[in-house]
Amino acid sequence: MLSDQNHPVSLDLSRREVLRRLVLGGMAITAGACAPVRLVLKAYPSEFDHDQSLTDRTLTAFVHTVTPGLPQGPHPAVRVLQDDFYPIAPYAAFLASDLDRRAESRFHRSFRDLQPGERRMVIQDGLDADTITRRLYTGAVFLTQISVYGGVHDDRAGSPLINFPGGYQPPIPASLSHPEVERFRTRSLTADGNPA
Amino acid sequence: METRLTDVLVIGSGFGAAAPALRLAQAGWSVTILEKGPRIGPGGEAFRQTQDPKYLLRYLKGLSGDHLGLTYAEALGGGSGFYEMVSLRAPTVAFEQVDGEGRRLWPAGLTRADLDPYYDIAERMLRVEQIAERDVPKSGQVFALMMKSLGYSCDRARYAVRNCLGSGYCVTGCIYGAKQSLHVNYLPQAVAAGAEILCGIEALSIARLPRARRRSGSNTSLPYRYLVRCRVGEGPGEEVEYRARIVILGGGTVGTARLLLASGETLPRLSTQVGRNVAFNGSVKAAAILPDSFPEGDMFQGRSHPGMISYEFLESHGISIFAVKPLPVQLIAAARLRLAGLPRRPDWWGEDHVALMRHVRHRMIALVSLGLTPPSARIRLDARGRTQLEMEPSRELERYERDIYQLLASILERNGCRLVETPAIDRHGMTQEGLHFSTAHQTGSCRMADAPARGVVDARGEVFGYPGLYVTDGAAIPSSLAVNTSLTILANAERIAAGLVERYRPAA
Repeated sequence: MLSDQNHPVSLDLSRREVLRRLVLGGMAITAGACAPVRLVLKAYPSEFDHDQSLTDRTLTAFVHTVTPGLPQGPHPAVRVLQDDFYPIAPYAAFLASDLDRRAESRFHRSFRDLQPGERRMVIQDGLDADTITRRLYTGAVFLTQISVYGGVHDDRAGSPLINFPGGYQPPIPASLSHPEVERFRTRSLTADGNPA
Repeated sequence: METRLTDVLVIGSGFGAAAPALRLAQAGWSVTILEKGPRIGPGGEAFRQTQDPKYLLRYLKGLSGDHLGLTYAEALGGGSGFYEMVSLRAPTVAFEQVDGEGRRLWPAGLTRADLDPYYDIAERMLRVEQIAERDVPKSGQVFALMMKSLGYSCDRARYAVRNCLGSGYCVTGCIYGAKQSLHVNYLPQAVAAGAEILCGIEALSIARLPRARRRSGSNTSLPYRYLVRCRVGEGPGEEVEYRARIVILGGGTVGTARLLLASGETLPRLSTQVGRNVAFNGSVKAAAILPDSFPEGDMFQGRSHPGMISYEFLESHGISIFAVKPLPVQLIAAARLRLAGLPRRPDWWGEDHVALMRHVRHRMIALVSLGLTPPSARIRLDARGRTQLEMEPSRELERYERDIYQLLASILERNGCRLVETPAIDRHGMTQEGLHFSTAHQTGSCRMADAPARGVVDARGEVFGYPGLYVTDGAAIPSSLAVNTSLTILANAERIAAGLVERYRPAA
């Protein structure tokens, strides 16, 4: 079955056969197991498979567009998108190439060279595309958000972008609770906190 | 295949498993506890204060259907390592729920009053206390203020915790040992009483051994009655089998159903109700941004649960309400957050979403209700043996979800909050269309009942038709509870364990 990661589709399948399988299994395909038609047929520029830096730079632009406000330069989320633990990794090069293809088609420039507003439009194109492409883009946005907001690569650092402090640092006791308790005291229905 | 012998085989190590393991070990039985997941907690792999999915997904598992998502733990101590420590007795009304034909969901003669003595034991073991006013975190205070402004009641909740530092990482495991998880009470006491705990062993199927008559006298006079085939480690792994006189199923609502469903051929007299009647505690959520008029509320520091709960609508709507203050990844992994009414696209990623997420810690509040929804979901195995979850949406459930959301939203809006849309998403970030519930409070897949036509085990927890085979976990609980389920599961397990000790007391 196409959606089973343990049984990848043979690349010498006919396009007709691939489409048939996509229809049969693809409606329930997950981002983790999806294989967009162009990926299955390898019909995307091969430099994305052979030039890691090109993929990295394109995905860096993607991460900065999904979660704007990050410091300039590569962010660990780019590594997460290519981490084999996560389901997007097999499709990272395809995602980068698809971003470029859509950017060239709409703006005649690479995704990396676009202004932030233009990049947003390109990503939105992918999110509005066919079911399978939409799942891939949605999964990539979702994984980027998890990585950035959760500070996945550094427990202690958290996510400065959203003021999430990460690992516990001893608080000032007064910061845990408002001092004027009586202001918040409400009518209670129970004697000990348990419902009757 | 290696064959091992034990008097009592306990499958699972969470709330439903720990009590019978301890009580039977104290009664002199040889007890073996099998845990499918890894050994985490003091003396094992350490808990971490992290949002890293690689850590969380190692211990927290999910089972999703089209309209329902369940979360459960697979690790030593079960959910106790990762729960919020809220320890509440289920209200009387939960025990009195009836099905569509007017029949009580709980077995005859089993009421809140019957369970109260066992709640007492469970609370002593977990050192449960009502939170002091001065310890209520800001998020709980803000929630209380919201309810107060509308004239509603709000109660201080009860917790299983000692010397809490307020790190806010309760749900990834308390690295300070403040949380009274089973690692600091039941499990070490069971080991001290002679029980053996083995992690990384999964029970695959159960078979009945040929009948042998109990002689009388000591524990060892009870015949070995069950053969449990197990796999050691992940993947194909080595297999071992256990012969046991008594088998206790405590692997949780999902795990116990899965094991009994996988044992259908070897236990042919099992009730057809196995896997059915899963209750999901009617969880509905609404989130919002607080108005400036509310005091600064740190939604992160302090224990995960904000300390206050409202029973104002328990009688009228069958729900309790509390606020949540999840970590960022918990938030976005559960819902696609969007500020309501935002006309621009994109609204769930990009600048507007980052701006929204900046409010998480100080200005965003989420209300959650737990309610008495009927046991209407089902766990089954497909042709390849994979676990599936099904729930048929009904008009009643749709009305319930809509009405409760409107109630929660009304509480927020009447306090001047701006609503945040929270459509549920699956594990790949795709939105769930239509009715969808998600919970970690699932119960009832092998529920207690008065007859096998209506459930899987009797009121003593014994599987119909299979003497000596017991279900003591959430799977046995026949209904939603409208409060967190852990204390009720533990109290019921204590009740069944007391019956077991009495029933199998060696003759003098």
